[in-house]
Amino acid sequence: MWWYLRARLLLWLLRVTGRALRWAVLIAVLAAAAPVTVVAAVGFAGAWLRGWPPARLRRAACWSLPMTGVYLAGRALQVRTWQALALAPVHDWRHSWHLAAAGRVLTAFVLCAPTAVPAGLFAAAGLWAWRIYAIDNGLAGKTATAPVVFDARQWRRSSRAARGRVAAPGAFPLADRRGRVVMGATIRAVGHRWRPVSAMPYRAMSRHQVIIGSSGCGKTNLMMRTWAGWYVAALAAHYQTGAPRPLLIVLDCKGGPDARTKAARTRTLLHTAGARRVAIWPDEATVSLWGLPPADLAVTLFQLIETEAVGAAAYYADVTQAVITLAVTAPPGPPRDGAGFLDRLEPGWLEAAYAGDASRLGAVAAARRSLGDVSLRYRTLLSRLGPGLDGPGTLTDADAWYFILEGTREQSVAEAQATALTELVAHAATSREGEPRAILLACDDYSAVSGRVPLWQLYERGRSLGVGVQVSAQSWQGLGRDDDERRRICATADGGIWLMRTPYPQPISELAGTRRVIETATKVLGGVWGDEGSSRIQHAWTADPGIARRLATGQAGYIHAGGCTWVQIARPRPSPLSLSPPPPEPVLIPPARQQPAAVPSAPPDDLHDVFGNGARP
Amino acid sequence: MTDSPDPFTVLGLPLRPDLSDERVRAAWRQVAIATHPDRPDGGDPARYAAASAAYAVLRTGWGRSEAYADLAAPLTGRVVSPVAVAARPLGLGSWRALALVPARIWHGRPGRLVLRIAAGLVLALLATRTGAGAPATAGLVTGIGVWLVLTVRADLAPPPGR
Repeated sequence: MWWYLRARLLLWLLRVTGRALRWAVLIAVLAAAAPVTVVAAVGFAGAWLRGWPPARLRRAACWSLPMTGVYLAGRALQVRTWQALALAPVHDWRHSWHLAAAGRVLTAFVLCAPTAVPAGLFAAAGLWAWRIYAIDNGLAGKTATAPVVFDARQWRRSSRAARGRVAAPGAFPLADRRGRVVMGATIRAVGHRWRPVSAMPYRAMSRHQVIIGSSGCGKTNLMMRTWAGWYVAALAAHYQTGAPRPLLIVLDCKGGPDARTKAARTRTLLHTAGARRVAIWPDEATVSLWGLPPADLAVTLFQLIETEAVGAAAYYADVTQAVITLAVTAPPGPPRDGAGFLDRLEPGWLEAAYAGDASRLGAVAAARRSLGDVSLRYRTLLSRLGPGLDGPGTLTDADAWYFILEGTREQSVAEAQATALTELVAHAATSREGEPRAILLACDDYSAVSGRVPLWQLYERGRSLGVGVQVSAQSWQGLGRDDDERRRICATADGGIWLMRTPYPQPISELAGTRRVIETATKVLGGVWGDEGSSRIQHAWTADPGIARRLATGQAGYIHAGGCTWVQIARPRPSPLSLSPPPPEPVLIPPARQQPAAVPSAPPDDLHDVFGNGARP
Repeated sequence: MTDSPDPFTVLGLPLRPDLSDERVRAAWRQVAIATHPDRPDGGDPARYAAASAAYAVLRTGWGRSEAYADLAAPLTGRVVSPVAVAARPLGLGSWRALALVPARIWHGRPGRLVLRIAAGLVLALLATRTGAGAPATAGLVTGIGVWLVLTVRADLAPPPGR
């Protein structure tokens, strides 16, 4: 019995001594490497307080290596042998202890700093990475809720740090030197490489992107930044490599006074991004629908009116289509404007145009009874559409177009306009006349007018035409009529999905996929958390829907290639510096420029116009 | 457009595409008040007519955009080879970038910038006064310099077109 007790006591003493020795050795090492310890402690504390990831400390360590290089170069000049140079840091470290003992602590630190700073930061990065790993996997933390509390706290701190970074005036240009569109400060990267500044290749926007965010979440800022950033990067590529000149087309499908404000802001921003002609439709500029090839024009005109494909309506639709085709493809050529088109919907005009063509005259005679109805319907439609599509002007006359469609006020009109504009974009993308353009078609709240042209059709057309399409919606439900359509749109968004604050982010999170994590369960023993438990591999969201629901204004998750980067979007600001003219573009062939027509505005010709009623000079 | 005088100059406005409607109108009013033919002294009909024409061009955002584009890129019809297009330098020239630095400081956060540079200078001065030896001091001053270079950009306003 006695020997057993002695053995147990001995074992306990050995364990305690071993533990004490381990601590003693650790403290001795930390004390011996005091400068490194101090830097590591400061780095660790900074990362904890600012919510930095370990990558940020590693970058800082790498950026501090030049000081080590300069120090070693200086020492190399003094000692002149490799062996002495290798031992120089050790000598300086030893000397620093003498200095510290003599009370010259600052001198001692300066002597060691060139090697201690990088080493300390690397050590801090390693320790911080281990701490995060340990907390996440249940190896550290005093309570079972430690991972949850730790994650929430670090998110708060990361967000605060990112907000501070985007507030700086010059940290986030629209595009960087490598032609990437800069979006803002990274809060957290899951499955993506962490970089302090989040940017995406501008070619990602030549494919399709989806933006989902409820009202007031900062969607407009995000979209404007992508437009201006894309424009800057595409223009730079045009200057540098001769890539096609960019053409940005924005369809603001909600309309209203807000749209005018957004349009003006977009124009100011695009001007600083290098765009010269920025047209706002229909307030200031017009385009001509009648410049489309006759066959396309006939199809587009038919699509502008609502028709049914069943019963008597189907018969009427067929007659309408036949009449439009006859009117548009008549021998004198396509109509030049709406009035000219309506003139053709008369039996006399059609008979004169097809005189001598017996089969077409037969078709005119057959449709004669319905011509009045068709004419009336198009007269009404064209008057509702307004002069905006009656030209003159083409999309390629400007560098950027901002189309304001009154989708909230007059949905059917806006739908017809969207149909026509989509057709014009397709024509601009495929036209072999004039210079080729890199086109980005951005549709803000397109769901408001997607009744006639569903979003997935727009996507499919954009893909086949090589036009980048960016679509925004306020919710998952706004992307399409049913889940199939919504999933089709999101699944083909190979340029990425921007997820902002929204109450129903699950479908997007499902598309983003999961990642494998270690989940640790902790046993409850007698009403308290014990130190026993089990771990197993589980799947966690890559784009956590809980985070998406809680996002603050201006925060977004960029889901792409199986990862998600949470970003604090930097507000796009036009440069406050006065602009000098951008470099003149080379002109290969002296062009006869055709300008889009401005909406006529009479010049002031009397003092009332200048000074207001009753004013006197 | 190329034969008529520059509408921005006629109204005494800077050559910028982002002028507001109010600013253009104010400039037009100023010229019109001084030159209107109904003035007791007869005004300056030629200048009034030129200002009227300029205002007609610049009164809308689209008009300003057009006029700015015409002035910034006069269509000379000069033939440039595609090689010249490919060789065009990207971004700002280094001289222009240097010339823009004062404006970037002024429009950025000059207070913070001064504080940052002052902190860097004080630390560098302290390091040189400690007598820790040339290599270590040079290393530390280099580190402070790298930190300054990496951080001051945030305090500068972005250059135009980026």
